[in-house]
Amino acid sequence: MQKYISQQNLNILLDKLIAAGKRVVAPRLNAGTLLYEPLTSSGEWAQQAAPLPRRSGKEAFFPLCEDIMSYEKEGQQVTVTDIDPARFPETVLVGVRPCDAAAVPVLDAVFSWDYKDQFFLERRRKTTIIGLACTSGDDACFCTAVGLAPDETKGSDLFLTPVEGGGYACETFSEKGDALVANHQELFAEPNNSKALPLAAPQIEKFDLKKVKAWLDDHFEDPAWDSIATRCVGCGACAFVCPACHCFDIVDEGTEKSGKRRKNWDACGFWKFTHHASGHNPRDQQPKRYRNRIMHKFKYYDDKFGQTLCTGCGRCIRLCPVGIDIAAIVEDISKK
Amino acid sequence: MCDHSNKNIYLPFLATVAEVIDETPDVRTLKLVFQDEAVRDSFTFRAGQFAEYSAFGAGESTFCIASSPTRKGHIECCFRSVGRVTEELRRLEVGDSMGVRGPYGNSFPIEEFFGKNLVFVAGGIALPPLRTLIWNCLDWRDKFGDITIVYGARTESDLVYKRELQEWQARGDVRLVKTVDPGGNGPQWDGKVGFVPTILEETAPVAENTIALVCGPPIMIKFTLPVLEKLGFSDEQVYTTLENRMKCGLGKCGRCNVGNVYVCKDGPVFTAKQVKAMPMEF
Repeated sequence: MQKYISQQNLNILLDKLIAAGKRVVAPRLNAGTLLYEPLTSSGEWAQQAAPLPRRSGKEAFFPLCEDIMSYEKEGQQVTVTDIDPARFPETVLVGVRPCDAAAVPVLDAVFSWDYKDQFFLERRRKTTIIGLACTSGDDACFCTAVGLAPDETKGSDLFLTPVEGGGYACETFSEKGDALVANHQELFAEPNNSKALPLAAPQIEKFDLKKVKAWLDDHFEDPAWDSIATRCVGCGACAFVCPACHCFDIVDEGTEKSGKRRKNWDACGFWKFTHHASGHNPRDQQPKRYRNRIMHKFKYYDDKFGQTLCTGCGRCIRLCPVGIDIAAIVEDISKK
Repeated sequence: MCDHSNKNIYLPFLATVAEVIDETPDVRTLKLVFQDEAVRDSFTFRAGQFAEYSAFGAGESTFCIASSPTRKGHIECCFRSVGRVTEELRRLEVGDSMGVRGPYGNSFPIEEFFGKNLVFVAGGIALPPLRTLIWNCLDWRDKFGDITIVYGARTESDLVYKRELQEWQARGDVRLVKTVDPGGNGPQWDGKVGFVPTILEETAPVAENTIALVCGPPIMIKFTLPVLEKLGFSDEQVYTTLENRMKCGLGKCGRCNVGNVYVCKDGPVFTAKQVKAMPMEF
């Protein structure tokens, strides 16, 4: 379905959704930092603030820290209480960058294959994603290098492209998108012929991901890994800001008497990630841990799910305290 | 028993500690009975599968299910106290409640072993993952040919399941060869003295129509595989189990992988052929 919506009507739509009790999450300035956060009114949507929110939109389905059960002890007895998925809010994610939206179907694969993780899937079912084409980027952006684009619609239920003269060309890509438009038809108009605003310019050429994977297939052991990741300090920032990273820890937090079991984000860059209780660590050096990051993104995930675990958002490049540039690394590998 | 419904996959079953057995000064067996009668009846597993064991307040630890699937009504786990969770599990007393999630992972293809001789080779705390299969096979004794068990530890005191070793030794249908590392034997020791690979070579099981099942510390595995090769075993005839740190056990949390192989889903049971094809990441 193709439509047009003005900026004013889009704001009305968001305010109506908020008034209807939905959680409306959009890029919002929090003490100067752009984050995907719940809005209290459409005016808080900082859509022009560039280039990207500090963290990705995955928190809407996969919170940094979430309760997965609680326990209470009384003498020798333990009572375990489940989490009711009804508590997960109906959510509309607005102004989602194409690199963030495209990561969502990638995450779907891991949380839904074999055992179903209802914490992710139920939140996902209750969320509608409104993607927004990028008209600006920065030199860390590399979505085009991994086969995506500033107007990539993958993962979006409804996609907005800013047009000349204001407002957005809208296109729906799912029943959720259709329903959102149908339920608020008065705010949408038929598509007009306004030209789309120029998209953000690609920063680097497309990588030959097949070639990258072919090299990774044969080079688990290679002297290149030492030089690639010698600098890595194992801070884990890259994984925490990544829209596709999904590794997690399960921990109990509480007292002897009662507490909660939680699922927390984790990172393969941490030395403790694979550390055995015996003291043995299969990834005992930082380059081995960084190798796992590259391997997981460009080989293992592809082996298992036929997708690359990177959407080129560039957040890890912007935030790395020692200047590790994953795009440059992958580009180098593609030329080996 | 793989529940793929829309339930909370991280929720453990509650179990009661029915018995506590000290195997060595720091290795303990817990015999566990599920509190929910329906779970007690429906919980089935295969030898080789593992579970996540909870000490509420401390967290979860991953161990194999050490009892045999042929012994119904309870399961057993066996662990060394080395960390936060295992220290808490160690504090549990008879009647205390704890949690179990599972069973997870693949298992030994026991049906493929029917009609064959079996050689179990284990070192130290690595007997439990084989003990489940040993009892499974002994309970179905007429389905297998000769059964040989070569088991060793650093010292006499480090041998686990000491009562069962006596039981196996007393049986006429099992050949038990137990050993301790040089210096690990006391005055009463009635077994061999020497490292497991050496004693295995001395025991010289016939490779023809035989399956070898090897579990032990990496150093023991490293020196045992060449011995088996020398004895004529092909890599397809040799099985082992891998251990890597795990959290979910369900193929989601992303930490137990050896290359692109997930120990929790693709393992923990692998043939030597499969292990040799993996990168050194375990």
